[in-house]
Amino acid sequence: MSSRKRIGALLVVVVAGVLAALAGSIHVARAAGPTLTIWVDQARKDAVTQLANQWAAKNAGVTVNIVVQDFGSIRDKLGTVDASTAPDVILGAHDWTGQLAANGLVEPVYLSAAVRKEFPAYTLNAFSYGLAVKKLYGVPTQIENIGLVVNTSLVKVPTTFAQLEQEALAYKKKVHASFGIAVQQGSGYDAYHMYPFFSGLGGYVFGTNSAGNLDASNIGVANKAFLKNAPLIDKWNKEGLITSALSYSDAQNAFLKKQAAFYITGPWASQVLEQSGIKFKIIQMPKIVDPAVPFLGVQGVMVTKYASVHGVDSLAQDFVSNYVPTPAAQLALAIANGRYPANTIAGKQVTDPVLAEFGKAGIGGVPMPNIPQMASVWQDLGAAWFKATKGSGATPAKSAFTVAARSIADKIG
Amino acid sequence: MSTATAPSAGAPPTAPSGSLLPRLVSAFSGTAGLALKIAALALSNALAVWAIYVLLTRHHWVAVGLLAVATLLLDLVYLGPWRALLPAKFIVPGTIFLVGFQVFPILYTVEVAFTNYGTGHITTKADAIKQIQITSLEPPANGKSYTMAVAHDSGGHLVLILQDDVTKRDFVGTQKGLTPLPAGAVTASGGAISEAKGYTLLHGLALFNVDKQLQTFVVPVGKAGIRPQSISTAVELEPTLRYDAKRNVFVRISDGTVFRDDGNGEFAHGKEALEPGWKTGVGFRNFSRIIHDPLIRKPFISVFVWTFGFAAGTVLLSFAIGLFLAITLDKKGMRFQRLYRSILIVPWAIPGFLSLLVWQGLLNDKFGVVNRIFHLNVPWLFDSNVAKVSCILVSAWLTVPYFFVVSLGALQAIPEELTEAARVDGGGPFQIFRRVTLPLLLVTVGPLLVASFAFNFNNFNNIYFLTGGGPPQANSAVAGSTDILISYTYKLAIATGKGQDFALASAVTIIVFFITAALSTIGFARTRVLEEVT
Repeated sequence: MSSRKRIGALLVVVVAGVLAALAGSIHVARAAGPTLTIWVDQARKDAVTQLANQWAAKNAGVTVNIVVQDFGSIRDKLGTVDASTAPDVILGAHDWTGQLAANGLVEPVYLSAAVRKEFPAYTLNAFSYGLAVKKLYGVPTQIENIGLVVNTSLVKVPTTFAQLEQEALAYKKKVHASFGIAVQQGSGYDAYHMYPFFSGLGGYVFGTNSAGNLDASNIGVANKAFLKNAPLIDKWNKEGLITSALSYSDAQNAFLKKQAAFYITGPWASQVLEQSGIKFKIIQMPKIVDPAVPFLGVQGVMVTKYASVHGVDSLAQDFVSNYVPTPAAQLALAIANGRYPANTIAGKQVTDPVLAEFGKAGIGGVPMPNIPQMASVWQDLGAAWFKATKGSGATPAKSAFTVAARSIADKIG
Repeated sequence: MSTATAPSAGAPPTAPSGSLLPRLVSAFSGTAGLALKIAALALSNALAVWAIYVLLTRHHWVAVGLLAVATLLLDLVYLGPWRALLPAKFIVPGTIFLVGFQVFPILYTVEVAFTNYGTGHITTKADAIKQIQITSLEPPANGKSYTMAVAHDSGGHLVLILQDDVTKRDFVGTQKGLTPLPAGAVTASGGAISEAKGYTLLHGLALFNVDKQLQTFVVPVGKAGIRPQSISTAVELEPTLRYDAKRNVFVRISDGTVFRDDGNGEFAHGKEALEPGWKTGVGFRNFSRIIHDPLIRKPFISVFVWTFGFAAGTVLLSFAIGLFLAITLDKKGMRFQRLYRSILIVPWAIPGFLSLLVWQGLLNDKFGVVNRIFHLNVPWLFDSNVAKVSCILVSAWLTVPYFFVVSLGALQAIPEELTEAARVDGGGPFQIFRRVTLPLLLVTVGPLLVASFAFNFNNFNNIYFLTGGGPPQANSAVAGSTDILISYTYKLAIATGKGQDFALASAVTIIVFFITAALSTIGFARTRVLEEVT
């Protein structure tokens, strides 16, 4: 290429570059006034958008920017996001609190005593975390928990566990099924769905210390009371009451196709259940040795540390601590997502019967521990259940859970 | 050796008719091609300049430097007059992608392996100090909360108009202290202050724009201070930790405990540490942990042996089946050849994620189709040993089409005269295959076997989607029965100790890389020996 062509090419290149830079700088126009960025998942996007717009209408000049993210990845993305695209407010699950607070990604929220009274203590505890002193990091909006779904046209609603066992096994024999209660485990394990059985036998994950905080050194996966009741698991496995071979879809299909009369699931399946035409009732699992309470999941709204970087800290706090706790906002969010609201005043206004039944099934439930050490627990606890309910060739429950407890203790260190 | 001469630039194109590629090439030589090349270079430069501008506004100096140097080199290669750079014109685009998507992530992984990056250690030290100070604020006993309005006093200074939520008394707060206001000076309704005599309340944008000042505004009240929380509330808080910048320590005010920077990215006093910590270099600690921590070390050997067995089994089985099918379908004059070949390509055509999940359902021992149709009761995925066999079988099923296609091509490249000569010499079909066909085949396919082995050594998808790492082992550590090194690393990263430990996972990844590289190098060296056969 001749030198004239070369210079010509160079000129074109440089001009193009400068034009691009100019175009880019014009495009980065800032909106007049502050912007509040909220990360929310697809399911709650419409409800949160409506809520945020109502709030923004009261604060003229504020623009609300709703960004949809995959629910499971909000927690991890928050740690690696660039400050310029980071959110000021996020919607998240309560068991993220520990990890987010330990990473310094969320700000404490201070609620007045009057507002605190409107929320059950455990929902506020679920969003509290701290090594020395517990601080509140978020405002709860919804509660969810699993319950025992009973097909009332096939069996009677059991009031005791013995009755549940008898009815399940009788129905299993009648339809030649291979299990009595449809509860999911599968190759991914599922300690969450098996928790009512676990708590009913006297098991717990972490104990609490004298200050009422979760104590990661007090692991109750193989505590004495539970080990004494563990042979019941072997009995259930032998008679085929529960099995670990079922995945989420296997368990659901078994109940829908009337292969099982009992199904353990949560409010995410309520639409499927309502459309199936089956007459059902949702109850808490009857007491085994202790009350068989489920794990409670609480969802809520948190303020991120990026709110102060963006200069909208007081606005974010206004949205989260003054607007979101109001009964009207709580009800709107919960209904839009098909979950029970955390605010008790809003809870009294819930009319959907399925939702109300799930709410009742969660009374006395245990919030999932929100400390980072919980990450070590899910896998081992789920594996212990998997091995103990495998059918033939299952590990005796006592040894399976003892091994799990030791492994968890090793991992937490 | 046949050569093809491309028409020289400027000469009228005389490409043979009916051949698309040479016609395309000749159409793009000359002026049209030059214009395209200049446009492409201009576009990449434009993108680079815009990217540099955006990076500058976000203060990523290292990225700016690297991008500027890369763009400069790119321009020099394509616009420079040096003949020696002519080969570079062809290599540079591929090299850019290699550096961007391979070299850079590898360097980053190595960097992370020498830090403590993980839960509790993801931010910078300055940020950690700031967060500790924020979370160390506590409401004092009988701490008060206030309804607040931000205002300017007569001198234009920022003040807070406060109304105690309980006693409903009014105050004005400055950075010097709290002063009570006479009754009736402040009008409040519905939890908001609407008017304060002698002060101008801030509303709207004026209020939102003082956010940064509000974050540091404290009205001292005794040992505590009243701090604005939202735009209409304030809370009395007192610090429980004090940061001593000179000594670089935190001191707990109540009992004087000193929290020092322990070199591990956190302020600690013995076993008690303040959260959050920060990301810092820790040297070889992660590597020594792999060697010394029994929790990680114990399963390492068994996982490694299984990984090797899985990769070898998959490659050998799929190669054997693929070769067998290729030989069977290589007959001239066989009918429906195209149909058979299309059917055999199907496992390759279905996305791997999909077929693995479908296989997981098919192999379910209680409800899966396989057990139902053949009236078996084999615990395909739920018994430790059978699960290993299932992994190899499914993985081979996914790889057979690849080796089928490759073997077919390699078989057709073997000259017929050789097999004819062998048959004339009196060799049976098996002997011909073993002595003539197979060695010639391995010359071509050998490197592909090694590459496939290296790929399956790190085949996360095939293991994780089929068994999730497999039924748990009796002495349940993190590793399951069918965990290969890479899925074991993944579990270490997300299911250990306090949440996620990316630094440890990076260290294990580097060790896996060295193992894979060593095995591949040995394999390639052996295939080169094969070439000397011909």
